[in-house]
Amino acid sequence: MAPRPLEITDLLWSIDADGVPVAVSRAAVVGRLTALGQRRAARIVSAIPARDGILDQDYIDALGFRVHCELQRLGEELQFARRVAALLSPIVEMVRLHGAGPVRIIDVGCGLGFVLRAMAASSVLGAGVELVGVDLNPFLVAEANRLAEREGLTCRFEQGDALQPELAIHDGARCVVISSGLLHHLSEPGLAEFFAAQARLRVAAFAHWDIAPCLWSTLGAWVFHYARMREPVSRHDGVLSARRAYPAAKLQLAAQTGAPGYHIQVMEGSRWHPRALDVLRPIVGTLP
Amino acid sequence: MTAAFVITLVILALLDGSFAGFRASVGRTGLINHRTSDYQAARRGAGLVCVLLAPAIAEVCADLLVRPADLQHYTRAGKAMLEVYGPYALLVLIALACYAALNWRLKYLASALILGPLTLLRPAIAILGGVLGLAAGDDTAVTAAVGLSVIAVLAVEPLAGRLWYAPNAPGPAA
Repeated sequence: MAPRPLEITDLLWSIDADGVPVAVSRAAVVGRLTALGQRRAARIVSAIPARDGILDQDYIDALGFRVHCELQRLGEELQFARRVAALLSPIVEMVRLHGAGPVRIIDVGCGLGFVLRAMAASSVLGAGVELVGVDLNPFLVAEANRLAEREGLTCRFEQGDALQPELAIHDGARCVVISSGLLHHLSEPGLAEFFAAQARLRVAAFAHWDIAPCLWSTLGAWVFHYARMREPVSRHDGVLSARRAYPAAKLQLAAQTGAPGYHIQVMEGSRWHPRALDVLRPIVGTLP
Repeated sequence: MTAAFVITLVILALLDGSFAGFRASVGRTGLINHRTSDYQAARRGAGLVCVLLAPAIAEVCADLLVRPADLQHYTRAGKAMLEVYGPYALLVLIALACYAALNWRLKYLASALILGPLTLLRPAIAILGGVLGLAAGDDTAVTAAVGLSVIAVLAVEPLAGRLWYAPNAPGPAA
């Protein structure tokens, strides 16, 4: 089987076990992309400033901010936060029925935390809901907190690994774990591990949105990333995301393997025709 | 008839400038509430397109003062351009009306089916209208005016981006 192509943003940051960014060699990134035949991606990385062969961290962080802002713009156009909230509302109600205390929504791999910040801004899930974002990248976490503070939003962001969400989950029965656009960044073995990490903590439910792969998604991703985004990295990775996304059957199998006690459903319709409204579709797991 | 063409083209240029200004601004700050900056960006785009179109307008005025008979060339060119820009603008406005009117779950259809693809096609549409205008005008001065106009319209978004939203620092733009 051919190796999966790589997204540039997966290579620009390297975070060590203590959560500290470590230097990334530009030549090493270019070499990995070239070896996979991704010449355009290699050219994009070659143009990124470096000092003594090491990618300029300030530039990379600023680039990451811009890329995530552009992603947020697409999310706004898709009304994505409202779609997430619409699916979460009955789940949150179900958790509320099973005991007192706040319900916590944990967004893993949250980036700038657009979904949580948007839900906080609209208070769409009502009172008694804690919104906590987790991301491995300390710069994005700091920016997410800064943006939330600037707009006076009641949500918070912490640095952490999506595969080890323990730091944000104290009482799994009152937690719902969500993510958007994260699943295709994981390896196939990593998928089952990802679901297992949530099942181990007995979270009440999880809902993870990602692109539904099909010809229409790839075509749509190409049109929208070229029409709406400015950064070459955004355009490259956006289109590649659609190609790298996992089909429903693979997600279902991984979730059943990793979280066997959960009722699991990929909420996806036929892909034989364009499905613009559910280009991002969730895999939902709930404890019976 | 000539006045109608001119007025319509100016309105379309102002609308396009507003949208170009909006596109130059949106997706820069990461803030959830950016309505105020969206409106400001639209105003900036409309103002910028006026400034950028000034050379073309000055050229047309100067030419018509010297050679009033050239008006027929400009009229033909304007009509040819409107035959391209008119339907495009109509589609965009219908899509925007749908976006405003539709339920939030369905709003994205207007973007996915019309607004997104048309944004991608916009440079080609601008150039196509310009080429047809040049051919219909069939005059050196008209060629200059049409060329300057198309360049002006296409320059609004990148120039607004550079002027007001240059990505030179992390964090929200001022």
